[in-house]
Amino acid sequence: MTEPVFAAHIMLATLSGAMIILFGAFYAFFFAWSRLKNSASHALLAYASYAVFAVFTLVLARALHLSGHWHILIGLILLGYWLAPYGVWRLCVSTHAHEKTQATTRTRQTRNYKFH
Amino acid sequence: MNKSPWWASESFWRKTAVWVTAGMLVVLIFLTFDTVKKITAGSQRVPPYSVINKRIYYRLNPKRGFMEPIIGDDAPLFGTRLDEVEAEKLVSSGKMTIQAKNCMNCHTLLGNGAYYAPDLTKAWLDQGWGSELVREQMMVRFLMDPKTNGRGYGTMRRMPNLNITEKEARGIVAFLKWMASIDTNGFPHNFKTIPQEGDQ
Amino acid sequence: MKYSKTDYSTLSPGKKLAVKYFVVAIILFGAQLLFGAIAGAQYLHPGLFYNTLDFNVVRMVHINAMVVWMLYGFIGSVYWLIEDEAQTELVGYTLGNLAFWILTLAVTVVVAVYLLVQIGPGNQLSLWLINEGREYIEAPRWADIGIVICMLIFFYNVSATFMKGRWTGIAGVLVLDLVALAGLYLAGMFYTPNISIDQYWWWVIHLWIEATWEVLVGCIMAWALMHLLGTPRRIVQTWLYIEVALMFGPGILGLGHHYFWIGTPEYWLTIGGFFSALEPIPLVAMVVHAVYDAGKHDFKNRNHPAMAWLIAHAFGNFFGAGVWGFMHTLPQINLYTHGTQWSASHGHLAFFGAYASINIAMWYIAVQKLRGDVPFDSRLPHAWRWKWALALLNIGVLGMTLALLVSGYEQSFIERAIEGSTWAGYFKAQTAKWFVQGMWWRQFFGYATIAGYLLLVWDLATIGKTVSQPASGADKLPAHQPAVSR
Ligand code: HEM
Ligand SMILES: [Fe+2]
Repeated sequence: MTEPVFAAHIMLATLSGAMIILFGAFYAFFFAWSRLKNSASHALLAYASYAVFAVFTLVLARALHLSGHWHILIGLILLGYWLAPYGVWRLCVSTHAHEKTQATTRTRQTRNYKFH
Repeated sequence: MNKSPWWASESFWRKTAVWVTAGMLVVLIFLTFDTVKKITAGSQRVPPYSVINKRIYYRLNPKRGFMEPIIGDDAPLFGTRLDEVEAEKLVSSGKMTIQAKNCMNCHTLLGNGAYYAPDLTKAWLDQGWGSELVREQMMVRFLMDPKTNGRGYGTMRRMPNLNITEKEARGIVAFLKWMASIDTNGFPHNFKTIPQEGDQ
Repeated sequence: MKYSKTDYSTLSPGKKLAVKYFVVAIILFGAQLLFGAIAGAQYLHPGLFYNTLDFNVVRMVHINAMVVWMLYGFIGSVYWLIEDEAQTELVGYTLGNLAFWILTLAVTVVVAVYLLVQIGPGNQLSLWLINEGREYIEAPRWADIGIVICMLIFFYNVSATFMKGRWTGIAGVLVLDLVALAGLYLAGMFYTPNISIDQYWWWVIHLWIEATWEVLVGCIMAWALMHLLGTPRRIVQTWLYIEVALMFGPGILGLGHHYFWIGTPEYWLTIGGFFSALEPIPLVAMVVHAVYDAGKHDFKNRNHPAMAWLIAHAFGNFFGAGVWGFMHTLPQINLYTHGTQWSASHGHLAFFGAYASINIAMWYIAVQKLRGDVPFDSRLPHAWRWKWALALLNIGVLGMTLALLVSGYEQSFIERAIEGSTWAGYFKAQTAKWFVQGMWWRQFFGYATIAGYLLLVWDLATIGKTVSQPASGADKLPAHQPAVSR
């Protein structure tokens, strides 16, 4: 199961842990912003944040010597943080649908706008 | 008035919230039954209280990749063999004392508690007691009068006098010995034990 | 222009009770900080109060005062919002008032016994009368029973009021959550010599703070958003359910992160690691929602301090629970950080960020009503007070958190990784240069926090007093419009 971390990796592991959540949030933030403003430059920032996030996730996996089924967790983290903002955005748009009609038109726009 | 799709509706999420919560709780309850069975005193992971009649080692298990307690041959605590009922009584009096004296608001037990004083998980096996020959007596004496017998290892931090009687102190030592025999998945990691008779 | 200030006697019964709970909460908050400062000072000057008021007693009062003041704050918040939500008067004011006094008397006696008697001989009587010696639930058994009785009265009051008035989505979540809250507390009341079983149940605390409290806060937040920003009920309630699903999905089994090293089977390493690593996902996902809302609404509101504290809550929850929680939640790293100042670092930011902040927001909402609904916005005189209180409290706690992080890192590295967690290793870490430095900085930022608290109390006592403006109506902002169901 848990192969003990080399002492020297404690700092690296915890630091990358913090960076994962931080950049996961940056990604979510810029993702939402780019949709809201329909802005490509923010989409780019979102991509970049996700890339940093992904790198730190891999660093964490290395620093902790994750092996076996723990690889699945890394996969789940990479996937979960990637997809969650999509889901939450769609929920935002749909749950607020009747609030302002604008919201729906905006979704249609953003749909056309390719984020993938 | 546009209707929101079913997956964004209030009623869908109400049901989802209920089902997710209920589902997870059921899993947790199932796991709790299994775990409690496996950590009842007398199980593989948590030995019977009469383990205080035996020698306890803490050694690396290369297969599991971490240290685990090993129960050795006879080494009755305070030189007296106790049966299971007597042993439980003694350990329990120690646990009760540990609660009544509020030890956990300075120390950690199994790593839980406060961080003002050392972890007690494997205190029984600590090098600080010098040798197995004097350990039991040293522990009792320390508990009864920590002001005189304590060592702060260069800090000014000392355990206060908690009016622990000799009977209570013996109970605490029994509790600590029993606790050292619990399989804690390798925590604390790489613990350096007192030289133990019969160790290589 | 003259208008009549709302004074206490004209408040509705529920709001009257709420104010009482808030006042005790504020006092206990002060006690928490005072005893925290003493405990911190004892790290630096171990001789302080040695054998008269030892660290274990001080720390017990510190953490108990916190748990209790937050509960008072939550109870008060629920009493504050329940009449708006149920659209009827509180059913049992007299009973609720009685429960308040019993509870407050019990808390006073418990604290007095903590301080004056402190410890007892190792028998059941000590656990029944003095303290139970289990972290966070130290209250002696007699007090446990009293607390549960008061909680039951509270529970009756809440559900009966909803039943008589209007049963809403928020009401449903709230009532179920209160059942879980009391049930968990009851489950913690037992004695066993088996430390593994003891610690297994002790972590019902996890289900309190990472599940039931989060949901309670979700309910309060839902109401506050309707109240402050006029967000429609349907939206707020849908999101409350979404939040419950996202929190409880990983949060319930995330409990496993407390079952790595207490004798429990190895499968908890996987369960705890997996589920608690996913726990921050909802926190991160909520960023999307926040951005969405910020883009759609202008956050115009008449209570700036309350709004600021709600925003502080969102950030505090994200950093304290999300970032700091995730950092040490995988078993591979927790093996080193478990039982060190790491836990203290995380605990400070998470509790303050998630729960202290939202309580303070509610106090500002309440105090606005008490001052006759005058606007607490840019026209507010002496606004520097609430702004500096906000800044000092947040900087203070964040500073303590970072200082404890430095100490925690040093401790896990020296004591756990290098020295193998022996007693000598423990003290080697405690005397390490950076560890000691961290402890000094913690103390410094602790004093900043206390300064912020004093300013907060001053501000709450005086804010808006000199403003004389017509009560709402002049400005057509959604301030306290009754939350009507649609
Ligand atoms: C607002 C929510 C939270 C609060 C108030 C909170 C508070 C605390 C406190 C006070 C402790 C220390 C217990 C002690 O030893 O005295 C603790 C432990 C812990 N928390 Fe949290 N927490 C929260 C959320 C989280 C989350 C979301 C995670 C994971 C992502 C997390 C991970 C942990 C872990 C792993 C420990 C165990 C530390 C150890 O003993 O090794 N917490 N929490
Ligand atoms: Fe937890």
